[in-house]
Amino acid sequence: MDAYGGAGDAEADPEEETRGRDEDRTPSRRPGIGAQRAASPEHLPDPSPPAGRTAHTLGSAPGLAGAAPVPAGSRPAPPPVAADPAADSAPAPGSAEPDLVPVVSPGAVGPGIGALRVGNQVVAAVVMALVAAGVGVHLLMVFLHVAPANTVTKQHGQAVDDYIYPEFEQNWKLFAPNPLQQNIAVQARAEILAEDGTLDRTRWVDLSALDGEAIDGDPLPSHTRQNLLRRGWDFYVNSHDTAGVPNGMRGDLSERYVRRIVLARLVTELEGTRDGVIDRIQVRSRTTPVPPPPWSDEKVSRKPVDRELTWWSVTDSDVPLDGSLQLRRDGEGGAR
Amino acid sequence: MKASLGRCARGVQLVTSRSLGPYQTAAVRIGLAGTWLLFLLREFPHRQLLYGPDGPWGWSMARRLIAGNDAFTLLMWSDGRLWFEAVYALAVVASALLLFGWRTRTMSVLFMVGVLSLQNRNIFVGDGGDNVVHLLAIYLVLTRCGQVWSLDARRAARAGAAGREPWADRAGPVLWAGGAAALAAVTVLGVAGWGWLLFFWTLLTGQALWWWLGRRAPDGQAYLLSDVVAHLVHNGALLVIMVETCLIYATAGWYKIQGSRWQDGTAVYYPLQLESFSPWPGISGMLAGQGLLVLVVTYGTVLTQVAFPFALLNRRAKNVLLALMMAEHLAIAVLLGLPFFSLAMIAADAVFLPTVFLLWAGARCARARAGVVRRARAVFGRGADGVPGDEEPAGPARKLPVRPS
Repeated sequence: MDAYGGAGDAEADPEEETRGRDEDRTPSRRPGIGAQRAASPEHLPDPSPPAGRTAHTLGSAPGLAGAAPVPAGSRPAPPPVAADPAADSAPAPGSAEPDLVPVVSPGAVGPGIGALRVGNQVVAAVVMALVAAGVGVHLLMVFLHVAPANTVTKQHGQAVDDYIYPEFEQNWKLFAPNPLQQNIAVQARAEILAEDGTLDRTRWVDLSALDGEAIDGDPLPSHTRQNLLRRGWDFYVNSHDTAGVPNGMRGDLSERYVRRIVLARLVTELEGTRDGVIDRIQVRSRTTPVPPPPWSDEKVSRKPVDRELTWWSVTDSDVPLDGSLQLRRDGEGGAR
Repeated sequence: MKASLGRCARGVQLVTSRSLGPYQTAAVRIGLAGTWLLFLLREFPHRQLLYGPDGPWGWSMARRLIAGNDAFTLLMWSDGRLWFEAVYALAVVASALLLFGWRTRTMSVLFMVGVLSLQNRNIFVGDGGDNVVHLLAIYLVLTRCGQVWSLDARRAARAGAAGREPWADRAGPVLWAGGAAALAAVTVLGVAGWGWLLFFWTLLTGQALWWWLGRRAPDGQAYLLSDVVAHLVHNGALLVIMVETCLIYATAGWYKIQGSRWQDGTAVYYPLQLESFSPWPGISGMLAGQGLLVLVVTYGTVLTQVAFPFALLNRRAKNVLLALMMAEHLAIAVLLGLPFFSLAMIAADAVFLPTVFLLWAGARCARARAGVVRRARAVFGRGADGVPGDEEPAGPARKLPVRPS
């Protein structure tokens, strides 16, 4: 639903994910490459533009000249690289300067498969087939992963998941099928044990509203304000049933996670307002429908719906970043 | 029949002789590394809260989850604070160096390690932007994204111009040896999964092999073959990036079509009313009040997203949609307060930018940089010649047939 938050929530799929793909054999950037020598012994590198530009137009690469144009036994053509962006030379905004008309793109231009001996051509063809297969399989898997449940995924969903999780997981239902139409506020309150033994219950603190205010006017909103609590709460909701029963390990973890997020926030908010030790906290969500647009005649109840969790007893180990449950009123000493 | 065979042959020759889209892949590299670097710096004060061992998503909690899904992250190797700081620093440095294209291939690997380490450490703070960065970081490793607009390209061009032996380089071998030692240690300690170990060892040996073959006999068959393999892998990864971008738009668009709010033309109204997505409530409220505008943007969004993959069949249509798409992302960046998501998407979009435009933009940047350098010289009296600029080698002089990895 709320798409911008959806992605990245890896399912716990205990399967191996990295298949050492064959095309991983990437010879890599090495310092100082015998570049020009390899590609064009007779074209000594020349910094002057014209030479650089004309020396290696497509097909003129040395080594290609004498070679058979095509390896006879070449394998299935590679994926349609016809969509090559480099070949794209549409008029651009602001139109290029005359001296910048790209005759050819720079970069590595080798003699290609045409310059190889037959044996090596076979090797190259095999590699090409492997790369094509790898690309094909990968794209198919990703497609099946992002597509709705269908005939294929009903049968082979497990295989797709095994391939996708955890590193290729993705969710592009961006504000789709419908954008979120409610503000979900996460609120919390605490019971504080004062030194004289009395228990003091605070009012509800609207942590989501505080987040909302914090990003106001911020051109670079922080994930701590935009995602931490919001997605933490999503995680909790998604790993519990409506009665609040956790589903397995993720349920337990999400509970702990939300408790720790909330506690860190409560400590910050309440610090300085009173003396005592936070004993228990309670969290609720308050869901308020966004009113329909002014030109709409839809009627939507604006009544908020609350979901209240039970009280949690907390300990110092629940406070993130070595925080403490101990609160001190301002101006009464203590480490402030 | 013959003609199509010939076309097929030319295609094979093309993808085995060049790493296509040098400017596009460089733009993706710069955009992606820049986005992640900006994000890391932005969240630097909050890094412990988001990913730290004592953050809300505590180390032992993450370990329980990761035991189930085997996601890759260096941060699970130790719960020490120092280790965390080191990994965060590594992520920052790798992003910066990838941005400038210094030892691009190596940095792309370290960049990926940094991205995966942090994101997988806490998967519950990310959003769509993190998701894009995550995927592209992996794909980028397999590309030669430093062919232009990189320090590597500049170094190769200079070495060539000076007639220097291009293999006489110290930083590269040192970097490689360091990487090999680290990987050996990791292998012995047994902290990483076998799949990842295989991946990294393959990259490392491939790099060494390629370098050694080229140094031994740059005209030799073995070297040429290794180069063909590198081209093929690059082109394959480039295709994956392009299709992935299309899948993002297609998925986003097609799911929207099924939603009643996108059908009745009010969808755009709602995010503008959500607290988490309205950093400028005044502007958002004003826009949300314009029924016609909301309708146009709602329909326009669906239309462009659904149409985008098909627009690739026509260059002009593609460029128009690309411009619309980027404009919409800029609007999202500001209005919905999702700058990192938008930047990441723009970086992905860049793979489809026309070369002419990229050259033009590169030249503009080069000129701007030259102006700055001139002014700096005037102020400080002497040359700041060594100052690298990521957009630097845009000028014609950079069009040398350098050979990046």
